[in-house]
Amino acid sequence: MTPYAELCVTSNFTFLQGASHPEELVTRADELGLAAIAITDRNSVAGVVRAFSALKELARLRAEGGGDVSPPLPKLIAGARLVLTDSVVEWLALPRDITAWSRLMRLLSLGKRRAPKGECHLTRVDLQDWGNGIILIALPPDPLETDAACRADLLGMARKFPGQCFLGAAPRYDGRDQTRLDQLAMTAQATNLPMVAVGDVLMHRAARRPLADVLTCLRLSCTIDNIGANRLANGERRLKSGDEMARLFHRHPAALRRTLEIPDACAFCLDDLRYQYPDEALNGETAQARLERLTHEGLRWRYPAGPPPKIIHRVEKELTLIREVEFAPYFLTVHDIVQFARSQGILCQGRGSAANSVVCYLLGVTEVPPETITLIFERFISKERGEPPDIDVDFEHERREEVIQWIYERYGRDRAGLTATVIHFRSRAAIREIGKVMGLSQDVVARLSGQIWGWSSAAPDADRMRDAGLHPDDPRVILATKLIGEIIGFPRHLSQHVGGFVITHGRLDELCPIENAAMDNRTIIEWDKDDINALGLLKVDILALGMLTCIRKAFALLADHRGQNLTLANTPAEDSRVYDMLCRADAIGVFQVESRAQLNFLPRMRPRAFYDLVCEVAIVRPGPIQGGMVHPFINRRMGREPVEDLGPAMMEVLGRTYGVPLFQEQAMQIAVVAAGFTPAEADRLRRSLATFKRMGTIGSFRDRFVGGMLSRGYGADFAARCFAQIEGFGSYGFPESHAASFARLVYISAWLKCHHQAVFTCALLNSQPMGFYAPAQLVRDARDRGVEVRAISVNHSDWDCTLEPRADGSLALRLGFRQIKGLREEDAGWIVAARGNGYPDVESLWRRAGVKPDTLERLAEADAFATLNLTRRDALWAAKALKAPVPMPLFGADGEGGDEPQIALPQMTLGQEVVEDYVSLRLSLRAHPMELLRPHLPESIPHNRLGQMQGRATITGLVITRQRPGSASGVIFLTLEDESGTANVIVWKKTYAAFRKAVIAGRLIRVTGQIKRDGPTTHLIAERVEDTSHLLATLSPPADAPDDRSRASINFKANANHPREQAKKLFPSRDFH
Amino acid sequence: MALADARAICQDLATRPADLAREAAALTALCRWTGRYAPMVARDSADGLMADISGVPHLFGGEAALREDLQSRLERAGLTVSSAIAGTRGAAHALARHGGGIVPDGRLAEGIGHLPISALRLDHDTVSGLARMGLSRIADLIPLPRAPLARRFGQSLVMRLDRALGQYAEPVAAAANAPHFGVRMTLPEPIGLQSDVMAALERLLARLCDKLAQHQMGARRVRLELHRVDQGAAQVEIGLARPMNDAARIVALFVKGVDKIEAGFGIDALRLTAPVIEPLAPEQISAHHRVQPEHALADLLSSLGNRIGFDRVLRLLPAESLIPERSHKIAPAAYSAAEPMPAQTGPQRPITLFSPEAVTGPSGNPPARFRWRRMHFTTLRATGPERITPEWWFDDPAWRDGLRDYWRVETEQGPRLWLFSTPQTAQGSPNWYVQGEFA
Repeated sequence: MTPYAELCVTSNFTFLQGASHPEELVTRADELGLAAIAITDRNSVAGVVRAFSALKELARLRAEGGGDVSPPLPKLIAGARLVLTDSVVEWLALPRDITAWSRLMRLLSLGKRRAPKGECHLTRVDLQDWGNGIILIALPPDPLETDAACRADLLGMARKFPGQCFLGAAPRYDGRDQTRLDQLAMTAQATNLPMVAVGDVLMHRAARRPLADVLTCLRLSCTIDNIGANRLANGERRLKSGDEMARLFHRHPAALRRTLEIPDACAFCLDDLRYQYPDEALNGETAQARLERLTHEGLRWRYPAGPPPKIIHRVEKELTLIREVEFAPYFLTVHDIVQFARSQGILCQGRGSAANSVVCYLLGVTEVPPETITLIFERFISKERGEPPDIDVDFEHERREEVIQWIYERYGRDRAGLTATVIHFRSRAAIREIGKVMGLSQDVVARLSGQIWGWSSAAPDADRMRDAGLHPDDPRVILATKLIGEIIGFPRHLSQHVGGFVITHGRLDELCPIENAAMDNRTIIEWDKDDINALGLLKVDILALGMLTCIRKAFALLADHRGQNLTLANTPAEDSRVYDMLCRADAIGVFQVESRAQLNFLPRMRPRAFYDLVCEVAIVRPGPIQGGMVHPFINRRMGREPVEDLGPAMMEVLGRTYGVPLFQEQAMQIAVVAAGFTPAEADRLRRSLATFKRMGTIGSFRDRFVGGMLSRGYGADFAARCFAQIEGFGSYGFPESHAASFARLVYISAWLKCHHQAVFTCALLNSQPMGFYAPAQLVRDARDRGVEVRAISVNHSDWDCTLEPRADGSLALRLGFRQIKGLREEDAGWIVAARGNGYPDVESLWRRAGVKPDTLERLAEADAFATLNLTRRDALWAAKALKAPVPMPLFGADGEGGDEPQIALPQMTLGQEVVEDYVSLRLSLRAHPMELLRPHLPESIPHNRLGQMQGRATITGLVITRQRPGSASGVIFLTLEDESGTANVIVWKKTYAAFRKAVIAGRLIRVTGQIKRDGPTTHLIAERVEDTSHLLATLSPPADAPDDRSRASINFKANANHPREQAKKLFPSRDFH
Repeated sequence: MALADARAICQDLATRPADLAREAAALTALCRWTGRYAPMVARDSADGLMADISGVPHLFGGEAALREDLQSRLERAGLTVSSAIAGTRGAAHALARHGGGIVPDGRLAEGIGHLPISALRLDHDTVSGLARMGLSRIADLIPLPRAPLARRFGQSLVMRLDRALGQYAEPVAAAANAPHFGVRMTLPEPIGLQSDVMAALERLLARLCDKLAQHQMGARRVRLELHRVDQGAAQVEIGLARPMNDAARIVALFVKGVDKIEAGFGIDALRLTAPVIEPLAPEQISAHHRVQPEHALADLLSSLGNRIGFDRVLRLLPAESLIPERSHKIAPAAYSAAEPMPAQTGPQRPITLFSPEAVTGPSGNPPARFRWRRMHFTTLRATGPERITPEWWFDDPAWRDGLRDYWRVETEQGPRLWLFSTPQTAQGSPNWYVQGEFA
């Protein structure tokens, strides 16, 4: 076999061009026995880490498969294909060593920073400035097609970097390869650039050709029928074996030989990336000294009465370990960030495994007292692993940007950058894009993608096709389905990660390219969090959490109205009334436990102490649910089944959770204690789950894990469950410390709800969008609990919702202008500022506050003038009269304008008022739509009577949430709302298949089914689901509804007033997936 | 409802795309027919007709009888119509679209008051704006003072309302008739000689061409109908490759057709029409009159087309495809415009291309010797292969075998041929085909 190395490979991280994943390319290169493969994406290195991880995984598989080392795995060369703006020649850049890599990264960063997002503008001069040490392979345009003068470019580069430059020759398989290669060889001679063979690879196998053509269509935005000559003529731009290349290059053996010399010269490997964390030394104090000083200060602050000896011991142990692994600067960075946030009054709290560290607690990063949970510092940092710890900090979502900008400012944009998130094609986008390319009509595509539930990642099946009016046997449709299946999972573009910061001591742009993000003032690196993990880079997660915003606002309101100064740390703990409330599942708005599953779970869990909340938060997660851990846990907690004794070693791990693994670290410990993994292996298993999923190689780990547990005498069933949980934990599990951090927020928000419902609802409304419920449900919940909610009024409301004292001393909630759809905060500010003693009429707002007439209309539609004794229509009538953006001098009330004749407009019905309320505010304080529709639905019973009913029942209600948890195998949970309360509906898969449309798209639905009681909660198991959304339209008859005298209306126009369309807009549900 | 939604409900739904041009033509025809009821008939938006029937109803026995007559005639013709009679154009328009009927004289307000405001020919924003005020029927608007209404919703609302109520005049303006391009000639004595017919044709053509020139039109087809004394008829029709109103050049094309006419006992009437016309801008006549090359080509196409049929005079047009036989399109020359062929890029293509013809007795890869069209060939030099795969989204029967490897083969015998083989279907030795010949 002829040895060969492929030096020009375009992966699908050259978006809309490459047609294979880096993983596929590396795997195929190994199958073909290539000596090396270079991933060279267009002005990017986004795909190289994927290839690097894939290669590592292949090495692991080989090692497991018996250590067969011949032939060796292909060597990976990380490089890029530089496309310059001022030259027709493209250059493959393959760094020879780490310094060359740094220069390449500086070069790419330079080009990316000066271009808009997703582009890179580089010139010949830039390449000459930064190209030292990089092997440059020129890819001139086809010499047979153009006679563009590229010789000067080649000569210039060769003169600047002697010995570094080569001329790439790629066969095209168009019948002229020999001529082409001869010409290139001549150019090579003339310019003194040695010729080297490249494949110019786009795909790993020829079978990807259709997809490559589709990507071309997407890039050129044309349909496949119009692609013309832009398609690939053949599938020869695939990875080829050495023998095949030798046949093509039989007259140029030296070109082939050089492909092997170049990888030898490229000593750089991504493993070499030595990453230096900022040293964080300050005022001559070393980082370690500073950390120790701050920790000891923390001891005094956290434990005024003196710390318990256990804690002191633990602190010393941690500090020693930190000193050994030299991670002190990292702690200090997080400390400084948190310190900054505190100084700005921004609430923050550490989450994740950081809460395993007492030092973090003492630094004020985390809030969970170390006494309350089991601390496993090894989970956080371990000496053997040598890997960085992971501290995530949540900030208020509205003010996180301040923190982010502070970090940029402190470290500089060349030292700090956000990590990227790769946005992949999912079902919806895949259907939309492929449908467009394959020439399916707009409405078919819309219908097809409309049926996809959320972020599904599967191609639509035959039933869905038929439902969209397509024949699944049509060859076009078959092709489209296949392509949709193939393109799902392809990267589309890079976006910014929610908040992962990479900070370096040296220049970050020597490590990886930095580019502009879509948002102003943000810069991101090209790699995502898995890549960062694979390379062992440190990342600080600056996350946003809506509940922190809400809590901060609630604390501020409490200070204003009740003079109570609370913080996260001094909220009264272990209040039994709070737990009573949670046991009643009265938790709308409370952090984490407000979800449907949690609400069902609360009465069974009956939390009575903080640790119960920790379990509660951790158990209703995909990991434990998939692992089948929920029922055993509940049964054992309620004493219905005994806790089985799994032996002392396991009981040490699982004792506190009744022998059921709930937390990530428990699963890892089981791997160690029961399956015989080393701690490092167990952790690697967890960390590399993402790679396993992409490569499909998890099977061997499963066998080893289950085998290990069986050989130690555990049941096969238990072993399988544990493993399923580890799989789930990979992406969806909580470590105990993290659950504890969240549980604190659960407790604090529940405390606020329990004792200060008005304050809590006000803060929640002012922090929207967040949480599980829409404002309508939050307001309703507050009213159910006796809070007076006052309507928006131009003379009383602010932008935010406010609290107004009542005569009896309690607080009433005044809705703010922010609830009005389409109103701008600035206008609200002007209205409040110019209010004085109040506005007497609509026109005075226009004159005094200077708001535009359309804003006045918004206010009128929201019924904000009711306080002036103006009905909605009267106010709107008055607002409509004001046409000019600013008042004109002569035509005032006392000028030439004169009086208008009074006009009596028709009164609105209650139904119309309610609909208008929903149109403008998405909620109504007047009545629930169901209350008005009840006479039309005699068979439906109110939701609050469901509890007393037996057998079968029919209910009707607005869909407020829809959930299809991935863990519940296709079961859908609906929450319906009517005037009496909410009802829980469970739709089994079979029922869902029969009533799919009503379940997915219905806004007001009627459900008939069997009542099922599970402890205190009642469910309705749906047997029949009907979409009754059209009834919502009867609340307010549209203007041109035909009446009796003109019932033969022939010009029925299907405009946006279609009842279902209207209903969809008015009564949106929140769908979770 | 979107089509995809309808399809989902009824799998076998038969659908046709709306043919707006033909609908408009049908309405125009209906407009002419309606002339039997009133002298002034005009189109009323895209879907209606408006007739001014002032002074007409008594001829039909009153308004009700007239409407009855109109409805029943159209229903017998298989049309579903809705009609209304009212004192104003606006009221009739509104009522016709909301059930139809008759508004008695002087009772406009009651007659259309129950109709929705949208019947007043208002834009969607105004209608929804009024609806939000609770004003949804015309009756709601009638009593309101006009000034505040105009201030809020513009003058057009008030004007539409006043027009419907007859407080503001709005006449029915019928469109002018389209010119008709046809001339006729009746002869006192029948004629039979070919030269007589040609002389008559020349006179007719001069008149027709004048009329065409007057309207800046040119004929694409010209039809000559001849009526014989024995009630027989004959017809000659010619086509033109470009719109033309030049009598001298048209008449030449008739010679062959006229030659074939059976005159019988003689011809006593002729009719000349231009059934297909196209706009033709007047041309500058220069001192030294020269026929422009594209006109000369069009004349050639006309004479060829009239001899062998216009669908047989073809032209090659460029098409974008990597499949050799689809890299050009063939279109009737008279009904397509010439497009410049893009500059030749990529591998060379043969000058003549034909459907693949199998060679016999090939030996080697590429074949060193083979037989094609009963001739023996020996390969001198072969270059290739150029690999072309079928267009995967398009099921082309000729390409069912899959990818092809094309070779340029220079033979000792002279011809330079374009050969291909389908290596993936070969069992033992591959099949070879010739698909073209290089110059």
